[in-house]
Amino acid sequence: MDVERIKFERTGGFAGIRLAADFDVSDLPDDLSQTLRELLDALDFPELPAKLTGNESVPDSFTYIITVEAGKWHHTVITGDAPEDKNMQELLELLNRLARKKIKKH
Amino acid sequence: MHNHRHSLECILPEHMLEQIATKGSDAQKQMAMDNISVVYQLRAERAMRASLADLFAPTMPRAADGGKERIIYDVKRGASLPGTAVRREGDPASADVAVNEAYDGSGITYDLYKEVYGRNSINNNAMRLDSSVHYRTGYDNAFWDGKQMVYGDGDENLPAEDRLFNRFTIAIDIIGHELTHGVTQFEAKLVYSQQPGALNEHMSDVFGSLVKQYQSRQTTTEADWIIGAGLFTPNVNGVGIRTMKAPGSAYDDPVLGKDPQPAHMKDYVNTPSDNGGVHINSGIPNHAFYRVAMEIGGYAWEKAGMIWYVTLRDKLGENSNFQQCADLSHQAAGELFGSGSLEQQAVKNGWSGVGITIGGETPEPKGCLEATLRFLGAA
Repeated sequence: MDVERIKFERTGGFAGIRLAADFDVSDLPDDLSQTLRELLDALDFPELPAKLTGNESVPDSFTYIITVEAGKWHHTVITGDAPEDKNMQELLELLNRLARKKIKKH
Repeated sequence: MHNHRHSLECILPEHMLEQIATKGSDAQKQMAMDNISVVYQLRAERAMRASLADLFAPTMPRAADGGKERIIYDVKRGASLPGTAVRREGDPASADVAVNEAYDGSGITYDLYKEVYGRNSINNNAMRLDSSVHYRTGYDNAFWDGKQMVYGDGDENLPAEDRLFNRFTIAIDIIGHELTHGVTQFEAKLVYSQQPGALNEHMSDVFGSLVKQYQSRQTTTEADWIIGAGLFTPNVNGVGIRTMKAPGSAYDDPVLGKDPQPAHMKDYVNTPSDNGGVHINSGIPNHAFYRVAMEIGGYAWEKAGMIWYVTLRDKLGENSNFQQCADLSHQAAGELFGSGSLEQQAVKNGWSGVGITIGGETPEPKGCLEATLRFLGAA
């Protein structure tokens, strides 16, 4: 899918430490941006509901907010810690890793 | 149960959202509309969660001998719980340190509740203690899923120089913290949002810290009152995740930022994140407990811990706020040690030290409107 920016935020967790990042997808290495696009396509991200059900937060679990932007279009999805969808699990792991690297640079 | 006017459920109040949806710019209107629907969804979810304990109660596995039974599972970096059983009650130590830490930590937590408070496991009915270690990859967290404990390995998937977190079984107070979420689920059933949620976190920190002190037989002055000591790698400038002695000073790090916990009601943090700041504002009652325990002295689990245990078991309800917790812990202290006793006086002084007067009305935390507008990008 066409995607220009991804905003990612993780809150909650035992430590309660917020992790957030804002990526310009064109700044990412080609293999990563390709993986991201494939995962978003596989999830049919634009059609996902704003809040994914079946992921209600439990004590100390993480909550994730993912916003995908392309031009004036944007879509935000809130999801809990243990999505059943393997693609969503992969997307969260990838965004977590990217967010950690992003923070490291600053 | 006391009834106070202000429940402080001020996260994104609908009237404010509706005002923004009516009077804001186009972008603000859209954001407000989006959030109104989220608020309604969250409310339904909270109501559902409040009945979680009742739903799970009949299916909880029971210890075979009606006492202490632990099973540690290895998820082998997957997400399918509970995983493969690798150490059962009475088995010799494993070669896997996380397995042993989960086993020993849940055992000492069981012992504290049983020997000091007369409680037979999480549900007071010999519930088996199940723990899963090696959950997912690069998972820097631990949680209680309503039935069992789950522990990640921290940042094991990153190069050593980038790692911030060690494995989450490394600190015994984390294990006591997670198990206490289970106790709360069966007793006060504190809703995991806003002040009731911060009290839920607070109770887990209190008994997590008491498990650690009980294990080492530390007095109040010997204890470090740090939650999660040893969890950070040497790459982080911090002593732990939280400190009950001096909330807000556990870490100050260029990567992770600064410990955001307040130690006083005047610094209460209004935020829509983290279920309304449940891991942030817990600093206030945490510090109150620390002050109470220090004033009473000796072993904190004996008197201060007993007052808090009775408050959690018999007094608090699912929507209790800080003021109610203060009043009810004061009441519990009176019942346990006598009206006007030194212990009851210590409870009064402890809460007073964080800006809460027994029998008073806690001022409405300021900044709710500002926090809401900031969340909506309108200010």
